[in-house]
Amino acid sequence: MSGRTVAADLRRDNFILLAFTPIVLLMPFWLQLIGGYEALATKVVIWMIFALGFDVLLGFTGFLSFGHAAFFGTSAYVTGLMLKHVTAEIVPAMAASFIVILILSAALGYLTLRRSGIYFAILTLAFAQMLHAAALSIFQGWTGGDNGLTMSTRPQLFGIEMLDLNVFYVAAVILVVMFYVAQRIKRSPFGLMLRSIKSNSMRLQYTGVNVQAYKQMAFMISAMYAGLAGSLMVIYEPYVATKFLHWSTSGEVVIMSVIGGVGTLVGPMIGAAFMMFFENVVQAFIGEQWKLVLGLVFVAVVVFLPGGFMEALRRLRNRTTGAPGSPGATAEQPAE
Amino acid sequence: MALLEVNGVSKSFGGLNALTDVNLSVEQGTVHAIIGPNGAGKSTLLNCMIGLIQADKGTVQFDGKSLHNVKPYDIIQRGIARVFQTPQIFGELTLLENVAIAALAYRDGRFKLNMVEPPAKTEPVYDEAEHFLEDVGLKEQIYAEARHLSRGDKRRLELAICLAGHPRLMLLDEPTAGMSRHDTNRTVDLLKKLAGRGAAKVVIEHDMHVVFSLADRVSVLHQGMIIADGKPEDVRGDPKVNEAYLGGAHE
Repeated sequence: MSGRTVAADLRRDNFILLAFTPIVLLMPFWLQLIGGYEALATKVVIWMIFALGFDVLLGFTGFLSFGHAAFFGTSAYVTGLMLKHVTAEIVPAMAASFIVILILSAALGYLTLRRSGIYFAILTLAFAQMLHAAALSIFQGWTGGDNGLTMSTRPQLFGIEMLDLNVFYVAAVILVVMFYVAQRIKRSPFGLMLRSIKSNSMRLQYTGVNVQAYKQMAFMISAMYAGLAGSLMVIYEPYVATKFLHWSTSGEVVIMSVIGGVGTLVGPMIGAAFMMFFENVVQAFIGEQWKLVLGLVFVAVVVFLPGGFMEALRRLRNRTTGAPGSPGATAEQPAE
Repeated sequence: MALLEVNGVSKSFGGLNALTDVNLSVEQGTVHAIIGPNGAGKSTLLNCMIGLIQADKGTVQFDGKSLHNVKPYDIIQRGIARVFQTPQIFGELTLLENVAIAALAYRDGRFKLNMVEPPAKTEPVYDEAEHFLEDVGLKEQIYAEARHLSRGDKRRLELAICLAGHPRLMLLDEPTAGMSRHDTNRTVDLLKKLAGRGAAKVVIEHDMHVVFSLADRVSVLHQGMIIADGKPEDVRGDPKVNEAYLGGAHE
């Protein structure tokens, strides 16, 4: 942070939000100009929400979860079951998912946050894979197992069918709101505590702070974002695949965050957009080898741009303005 | 009544007696040095005070209340600050943020879900943090990242973090360890300046120059036992101390 005051940071955030909002709301149109298609915009926005929440945990506190699919997938199933068996209205379905994720993340956070680093990553991975296995076995009657969960009717919002652009705009508005929330969290005293966990949690403890409670909150907030994304994904599809709970979904959000720029909020969203664009558009051009190319991109970013795309932007700006560390820099760590 | 009372504290690690029946009392506003050769149990004693280690026997009381089984962050909230042998700071954050964290912890307590506070309410905390940075002589670079500081300045920053918690007792584990003579002198001067602030201090120190220029009272720890306790001049003259430590192989 090179910000001078909290107020100045907030003004800069508002400027970013102001630029961000039209870019997101107009995505279905400009995405087509660069080879995408309308429906892809919805997927991009949903993954952006997921990546944004992931950054609250990984970017702020430094805790790398390899099990966020647990929240994305569970929320998707709860939403799907609600839509199928209870009501086609999405608000009660999303509310039910929210409550389930609240409870699930409280429990998983309590169990996993006692460890850090690789142990935390493995614990989260293990719990998520247990849920994945459960969806395929004991809960098969509910989840439909490998066949997935299909809905007979289209989800609705106050009687309006959730089709095409309707889904997009619901998701896009939620994204803008959630981005604002994440920005405010980052600048708040609470956010400062989270960022200090990443830096030195022992010092924080010996400054009189209950570090565990802050970690738990960050974990739960981040799970909420993942759950929200999971719900929206079902409303978009409308279908739930076991893949939503699979570890590869967790892995995907990790990759998005890392290539975008961990801790910057904007970076992981760019990473999410890039990944979705790559998987759905670029893939068609390069064919079978697209995963190999993606892997190379990932390696190149990690090796040459440890701060992700956001670092590239910062370097570019510093070069053009000739002002290293100009006050506009929002990214955290050059990591050099 | 003394601010900190250590009564009959014993601690052993797998049969090795690290501390045996240690008694110590630190009066309000004084500087109490604990000296002793390596392995004498100084750090163990300090860790017992801060709740990092629970004593096998005996009690530690701060301000008349037992610290037994109190969480480290609650011990800090009661008014004890800890300075570590290696300065512990938030390297990736600015100096201002480093101290603001401590000021917030003092204002808001051990946990507060403080996500939408208006800036006008947060700014005074940053102003306060700036004052503490000024006190330790780091006013010039408050927007710099802390990891770029020199060792001596990191120590100053750590002291500012501790001061922002408005402690009544500060525990300092070799505050000048690994510093050049110049940095050591600057740190001692700073500690002297802060001594007038009212917070009592327990200092573990190897450097005799530091001890005798700071301490009001000295306790000598040897093989887990207090072998002398008194004014610096008296302790210096004590033959037992000379044998165990000052005249020994060490310094």
